[in-house]
Parts: sequence; C-alpha cells; structure tokens
Amino acid sequence: MQYSQKVLDHFMKPHNVGKLENPDAEATEGSPACGDQISITLKIDPETNVINDIKFQSYGCASNIATGSIITDMAMGKTIEEAKNITWKGAAHELDGLPPVKMHCSVLAVDTLKKAIKKYEIEHGLAVAELFSKKTIVEELKKVIYPGVGEDIVTLKMVKYVGFENGIATIDVEIPKFDKYRNNVVEEIEEHLEAFDEIKEVKVTI
Amino acid sequence: MDRIYFNNCLTSKPAPEVVKLTTEYMNNRFYFPENFNAMGTTTSEDLDNAKRVIANSMGANSKEIHFTSGGTAANNLAIKGYLTANSNKGTHIICSVIDYPDILTNAAFFENSGFDVTYLEADNEGFIDLEQLKNSIREDTILFMTTIGNHTVGTIQPLKEIKEILDSAEQKIAIHVDACEAYARIPINVNELGIDLMTISAHKIHGPQGIGALYQRKGIKLGLVQHGVNRMDNLQTGGLNIASIAGFAKAVELAFDEKEDNMSKIRKLSDYLLNKIETTIPDTLLNGPRGNKRAPHNINISFDYIEGEAIMMMMDISGISISTGSACASQGLKPNYVLMALGRNHEQSHSSMKFTFSRYNTFQEIDYTVEKLAEVVKELRSRSPLCN
Repeated sequence: MQYSQKVLDHFMKPHNVGKLENPDAEATEGSPACGDQISITLKIDPETNVINDIKFQSYGCASNIATGSIITDMAMGKTIEEAKNITWKGAAHELDGLPPVKMHCSVLAVDTLKKAIKKYEIEHGLAVAELFSKKTIVEELKKVIYPGVGEDIVTLKMVKYVGFENGIATIDVEIPKFDKYRNNVVEEIEEHLEAFDEIKEVKVTI
Repeated sequence: MDRIYFNNCLTSKPAPEVVKLTTEYMNNRFYFPENFNAMGTTTSEDLDNAKRVIANSMGANSKEIHFTSGGTAANNLAIKGYLTANSNKGTHIICSVIDYPDILTNAAFFENSGFDVTYLEADNEGFIDLEQLKNSIREDTILFMTTIGNHTVGTIQPLKEIKEILDSAEQKIAIHVDACEAYARIPINVNELGIDLMTISAHKIHGPQGIGALYQRKGIKLGLVQHGVNRMDNLQTGGLNIASIAGFAKAVELAFDEKEDNMSKIRKLSDYLLNKIETTIPDTLLNGPRGNKRAPHNINISFDYIEGEAIMMMMDISGISISTGSACASQGLKPNYVLMALGRNHEQSHSSMKFTFSRYNTFQEIDYTVEKLAEVVKELRSRSPLCN
C-alpha cells in the first residue's frame, strides 16, 4: 500500500501546524486511544465570517497529518459557509486519494473542522443546536468508514437497523463473520455514538 | 549510506554465501534424492548433511529434523501433527495470550474442534504466569506451547522452570516451542531444555525465504498434516526445496560460527541502541525485560505523545527500516495484542517501535539511526496536541 506523493508532501512538511492564541473557534476530535486525534483552532472575521487563520495539531499517522494539513489549506480564506461544504471525499481527492483503510483520517479532520464551525455558529447566534434524534445517529454513522473499501457504513448499506429509546442506541450492522475489520467497525460505532450526552448505552449487534 | 535495516525478524537479507550456494544448487545440483544414481545419491548426502548441521546447532540428532516450507508450516506440523496423533490421551492444551499467531490460531482451531485451551496470562515484562500454569494442568493436558523469545518484546520464557512444572504431571505433557525468532540468537539445547518439538525458520537468520524446519524428539508421535508422495521421510510429503535447504544449512553454519560470536555481537549492538535512545530522547518506555532475560536481537520501545506509523514512515523516508505496533500500520487496525496483554495502554502500543538486529548491523548505523530518530520524534511531538 502506498500513499500518493501529495500525501507524503503534506506529511513531511505540513501546512498550518500549531495552535492559535485566543481562537474564535476550536474543536478536538478523536482520541489517542483510538490512534488519532486532531485539534483545530480558527480565527474568524465577525463581519464577513471569513476564516482569516486556521491551525491544526495532530496525534496520528501520516494520513492524519496530511488530511489536517490539506483541510486547513482548503478552509483558509473561505467563509464559514464555504468551509462547511468541504467533505472528507473532497479532502481525500485534494490529496490525490487515500488508501481505503485511511479514509477515516479524512473523516476525522473534516468532522473536527465542522464541529469547530458549528460551535462558533451557535455561540454567535448563526445556528441553533440541533435536537437529538434517530436522524442524528444515522448522520453520525455516516462518519464510520468500513476500512475494506473506504466508504461509510450507511452508504454501503451495512447498517440494517437504527433504534433509540430511553437513552439506548441500538444498531444492527451486517459484517461477514471472518471480516478482519469486524471489531474495528463495532469499536468505531461505539466511539462515535458514546460521544453524545443523550446516549447512555450503545448496543451493536452484528 | 545504504538502507539501514532493523526488521530482521520480519525477514532478513540472505547472506552472500547463502545466495551463492543456493544459486549453485539451482544451476547444477537441483536433483531430488534417489538411490542408485549419481545425482540422486549426491542430493541425499547433501540433505543428510543439511540436517546434521541444523541438528548440531541445537543438540539434536539429524533424524529428528524435518524440513518444511517455513516456520508456519513447521508450527502447523508440530501442533496439528501432535494433537491428531495424541488426542486419545487427552484434549487439553496450554499456551499463553502473548504467543505468536501460529500458536494462537492453531489453539483457536482446536478449541473450535472440541479441545480445551488454557491461555496463560503474562506479567508486564512478558513472562508467562507460572502459578497459573501449575493450576492449569489437568489429567487430560497433553501439550504446552510457547514462543521462547517473544516476537514482540523478546522475553525469554524460563523453559527449565516450565519443564519442571509440566513434569510434575502424571502424564506426559509435550513441549512445543516456536523458536523462529530466538534461534541462533540465544543458546537453545533441546535436551537441556526438555523441548519435544521446535520450529525454526531460515529467512530470519539470513537464509532463504520459504524454508523452515521442525525438530521432533525421538519417540514423539506426529500425525501427517499433508498427505502425498513421500520423498524424504514419513512426515515430509511433496517436492523438496533442495536449493533452499542447502542455503538454510549454510545460514545456520554462518550464524553459529564460533569465531564470529554473533550472539554477543548482537547483544552489544542492541544494548548500544537502547542506551543511546534512553540517554538522547526523553519520555520513552522500554517494552519487555532488560538484560539477559531478553533475546538480544529485540528492542521494543514506546515514544510518548506520538504515533508509530508516522515515526516509521519518517524513518523509512530517511532510509531506515523499523516496525511499529501501532494499530494504524496493522492489518486489522488493532493495537498490538502482546503489548496490550502486558498492560500497556493504547497510546503506548500505538507509539511502540520495534528494532530487530542482525550481525550485519553496525554501531555506525545505530549512531545515524538514533540521530534521525531524535529529529523525527522532536518534529512529530512539535505537531502533537498531547504535548503542546
């Protein structure tokens, strides 16, 4: 498995590394336990909503660092509305592709950027916090990548059932018994959903 | 400077003498053993000689050596062969949670086939729990399996003590040892250690890939794992890899060359690397034991605040090959199971780097490697949210 030259370039000499003092928006996603974490800080012009500066820090592999670098490049100078349109597939495309097993790095980087912007919007009255529902769970499951092909488990129709009752999220997924990514997918689902205060317990059945 | 290679237990570069000899065999001495003709008789003698060289290196008899297509084939022959031939005596086997995957996957296979398996725990240096071993022995226990020099952290299991415990059972409990990584790096005498079955592999000691051997103590019964034409002895079916067998024997001769004292040389190299890393780079953690209880060719060390695949790649770009226990670089995206079993946390596992040495490594290479490693660690830490 090989990374593209562009991934290697951004890995070896990443752009926009660091942490901004007194940022207008910030977010940290992932965790060292899971092997990757990204922190993003932004300076946003309150008049124009243009991202004047953006920096990231990364604990993670080469693709984690490269995706942090590319999405900060992509967001720099954009309005927050424009930056919200950055997708994980778009970021991977900008890097001339990522191996399927590394697509989750792009998801993490873009998700961190969007979380930071969302917090900014809520704090500045530009958006309201969305009510938690089953739809929220489905949207979150779209961030769980099946590493075998580098696509999310909802698009791949691996999710057969989503339930939410009394704080318990019940997810049925279909993964072959001897699939080497079976445990990884389950752990990813749990990690994503346990981050919600509204969810007390995650039950994944395969 | 040529590429600096510290992945010798993944696979090692064949020695020039090995390449020369295997090429000679492929060109001119390719024949199968056969009686009453010149080429076949010569091959028979060559095979006997190769067995003798390998047997001598471990205190065995050449009749106790069988060639296989590698370490995994030898482990399968040992485990499947022993359990199928001896299941009338019992169906309980013992291994540990930190064993090499060949042992663990075979154990799981037999567990699914009606055997009981006890998986011993290990302490934080990788030594298996001997009290648990004592308590695990049952009337129907027939096989104990271990990886003598752990493939991740180099821990040398105390086989003499283990043997004493196993011998306290009324029935025979055979000992199978996967020695693919420890062979030729620590002294292993099958008689002194009471080993019944032992696997070794050529490509980890500068021999050819695709050739291994199984030591089978005389009197230990093995069932056939692969049925077919018999060209050499009862356990080996199918064609023979004559050139690689000759190369394997040559690699063993070179590794055990007393004049070279390779085991001490490798120990000095790895001690030098460990000391240099620990005195140059802050916030590191050695995984596995120190000193003589650790196989000399293995250093496994974690670097706080950063992730191993990134370290590995930057070192690779600098022309230095090392490996990592990070989930990111693993096939199933899982943290290293040995380090987790030793009580390391996910971060320590993700940031672990493994160096496996060869007699061809040099102190000069280590100086350059640690210099580069210090730069890489400093650079990655400057990017990490965990130390800023």
